[in-house]
Amino acid sequence: MGRKLVKQPLFTIVYLSFVLMIVAPIVYTIGTAFFSEKIGVELTQAFQGRTIFLLLKSSLIAAIIAFFSTIIGTFLGFLLYKTKIPFQGFFKVSLLIPLLISPYIFAVAWKDIFLFFFRDSTILPSYLTCILVMIIVFSPLAMLITGSAFMHINKQFEESALMVTSFRKMILKVILPLIKPSLISSFVLIFIFSISEFSVPALFGVKVFTTEIFTQFSAFYNHSMAILQSLLLILICVFLLYAERKHLADLPFLSIGSKGSSSKIYVLKKGEFFSLSFLFLWLSVSMIFPVTILFIQSFKNGVGAFIQAFDLMMPTFIDSIALSFVAALLIVFVGFVAAFSASNKPDLRMGKSFNYLLLFVFAVPSTILGISLIKFYNQPGLEMIYTTYAIILIAFVGKFSFIAAKIIGDALKGYPKSLDEAARIAGATFSIRIRKILIPMILPVLFLAFMVAFIFSLGDLGTSIMLYPPGTELMPIKVFTIMANAPQDLINSMTLIVFLTTLILIIGLYMIAKLMIRKYNCAYD
Amino acid sequence: MTSISCHKQSNEVVVYTSVDQLFSEPILKAFERESGIKVRAIYDTEETKSTGVLNRLLAEKENPQCDVFWSGDPMRVIVLKNEDISAPFHSDIADDISQVYKDADGYWIGFSARARVLIYNKKVLNEVDVPQSIFDLSNEKYKGNFAIANPLFGTTTFHFAALFSSLGNEKAKQFLADLKNNDVVIATSNGDVKKRVMNGEIACGLTDTDDAFEAMKESDEVGMLFLDQKGMGSLIMPNTVSLIANAPHIANAKRLMNYILSKETEAKLAVSCAQMPLHKGVKTPEGISSLDHIVPMEIDYDRSSIKLEEIQKYLKEWVEN
Repeated sequence: MGRKLVKQPLFTIVYLSFVLMIVAPIVYTIGTAFFSEKIGVELTQAFQGRTIFLLLKSSLIAAIIAFFSTIIGTFLGFLLYKTKIPFQGFFKVSLLIPLLISPYIFAVAWKDIFLFFFRDSTILPSYLTCILVMIIVFSPLAMLITGSAFMHINKQFEESALMVTSFRKMILKVILPLIKPSLISSFVLIFIFSISEFSVPALFGVKVFTTEIFTQFSAFYNHSMAILQSLLLILICVFLLYAERKHLADLPFLSIGSKGSSSKIYVLKKGEFFSLSFLFLWLSVSMIFPVTILFIQSFKNGVGAFIQAFDLMMPTFIDSIALSFVAALLIVFVGFVAAFSASNKPDLRMGKSFNYLLLFVFAVPSTILGISLIKFYNQPGLEMIYTTYAIILIAFVGKFSFIAAKIIGDALKGYPKSLDEAARIAGATFSIRIRKILIPMILPVLFLAFMVAFIFSLGDLGTSIMLYPPGTELMPIKVFTIMANAPQDLINSMTLIVFLTTLILIIGLYMIAKLMIRKYNCAYD
Repeated sequence: MTSISCHKQSNEVVVYTSVDQLFSEPILKAFERESGIKVRAIYDTEETKSTGVLNRLLAEKENPQCDVFWSGDPMRVIVLKNEDISAPFHSDIADDISQVYKDADGYWIGFSARARVLIYNKKVLNEVDVPQSIFDLSNEKYKGNFAIANPLFGTTTFHFAALFSSLGNEKAKQFLADLKNNDVVIATSNGDVKKRVMNGEIACGLTDTDDAFEAMKESDEVGMLFLDQKGMGSLIMPNTVSLIANAPHIANAKRLMNYILSKETEAKLAVSCAQMPLHKGVKTPEGISSLDHIVPMEIDYDRSSIKLEEIQKYLKEWVEN
């Protein structure tokens, strides 16, 4: 194995850096919790019946959210990727917008919507509101995952089935089994996002496992207890992701682009009105209502609050965008290295273990990650890291590389090895094969991974609020530190500015990437 | 990314604050302008339960990066004192501030104070029906129509600890049981209490004076009242500053602390967020209450903090059951 590692210097450097810079601090912090003076009592409390019951309750809530999000997302995915429906492009983009808004902001907007229409923000039971809001937030993720699977169904399967059976049966017996891996992936990912979510349940006063961990951290300042309880959450997430990975080892999770797709597109006749109505209804619920309420409340007293909000947010733009941009580049790089090593060198054990380490860090709650990095990097001689944005870059790479590796890894599974073999036989070096064959082939996927990493980094609050260097300002932190006592119109204006900035950046990056991909592909055609 | 550089310059000071950025930042900027010392701040709020700053201070204990901790209440600074994270400091500037609002050993010094008050919606509650005492909230006529913030966090925690300290465990527990029986609404934060009262979702709620003044600025329908003015008085919660033990920029830290403790800062905070000065002779805007006209609850802040640790498990059960 040693020789293999020498032959893979880049992989070895990235792998060891990840282990030393991110995994080691977390393992150290978790380890120290077991050496706390009160470990006996804390272990008993952390694993007592009440805690387990709370964990089960949280799992049930997360499962309900994941189940309904996947169902709705699948239906949306089918309508937008398998049928010919008016305004398809518009719906494809606009229905993804809830993914760009922090779940907390979304929850606040929905509370205001209830208040606006019913004069009572608690008109629905808190559990129901919490679940509904999270379903709205996470359905686009399911739509993205299943939509990708719909696009890649070979139309021969569908046409053969339609010759012998009805459309309904073909959906149930052919299409759904074919997209099963995506349905499972969607369920697992949304389950993990939901069970780890703190802000929405806290806002609606729903007691879940994350609020319990938060209470240990912030009310009792009992770090070791919070870490022990977090371990249960980490175990569940790791187990699910591991099971999903094992079960779906060679099946695609998410791919973009319709190049080479031979999927059948259906023309809706009678169902078109109903489908369009559903799409419009969902768009209203997931975007039009929340954004409209933000607009109304931002400008209800004129433009003064918006101008003030803009002035307050101004100092945060450059740092936030630059930091997220650099973080996304690093995340894609680490994700690519991990995915490439696992896909091209399946015999390299460290390649597999790299992916499991990414998975482990992804499952670690933000607060634990933050505390771990503080304790590890706040040492004399490490100020260059601890007192600068480098500490946040490290945190983001740790937190989001798993997603990038997953997206890129699935693209690599579909990459024909014969191309690489042919180039190798023709004498192309490893570097040339990567630069001139592999990267152009998976460029759209690399861009998708970049965008996802960029959005997550730009909107992160949980980790960055623990780590941001004194004297610096980032967009989400500024909104949260101002919103406590600020007037409602100012808070809504700031939220609106964050939302519009994210949207403009994504559209801008998308345009640039489109041009670049076209140029790159032309150059190598 | 102007800040990607190593910061160990001597002409700077690092401050962590749980006071809302909207109010603390102008003070820190003014100090920066007047002193020429660069202020590098970390902001946090009660809304986020101060997870960031306090947990960061605890995690940084072995190698402090912070020089000064400016807290919105005395509760957190006592945690720091108990954990040996803060150091004693005596400021001449604060000599005329009553000893009640200072730690006897100098681990924290109080200044500009807020009080716990009742806010009510004038459209929902007639003037004659407004409760005059905190104990009135257990009255049937307010059933399910009043709110408090989650007592596990923020100033409500300290308010309850003060009640336990003042009334004794038995009476305080009975009072909390009465509140529960009267269907008290437990909001996520003081800001949430403010919002619910402003929107008329509930008739009244307990919050801090800064939230109350903000609510009254935003809506004419909101009124504010100091409770128990004929009884045990209202809880007064000063802002506090603490010097961090082994602070990297100790001289600048002391200058900043003196600046924060000055009459000028108190005057500015009175204007921006209706905080009541603790120095004598500070001019306040019209409508801002003065400690001279309020009956304060008589408490020992250190003792109340010890009480807080004692009752936290009980409060958690009270909230959850």
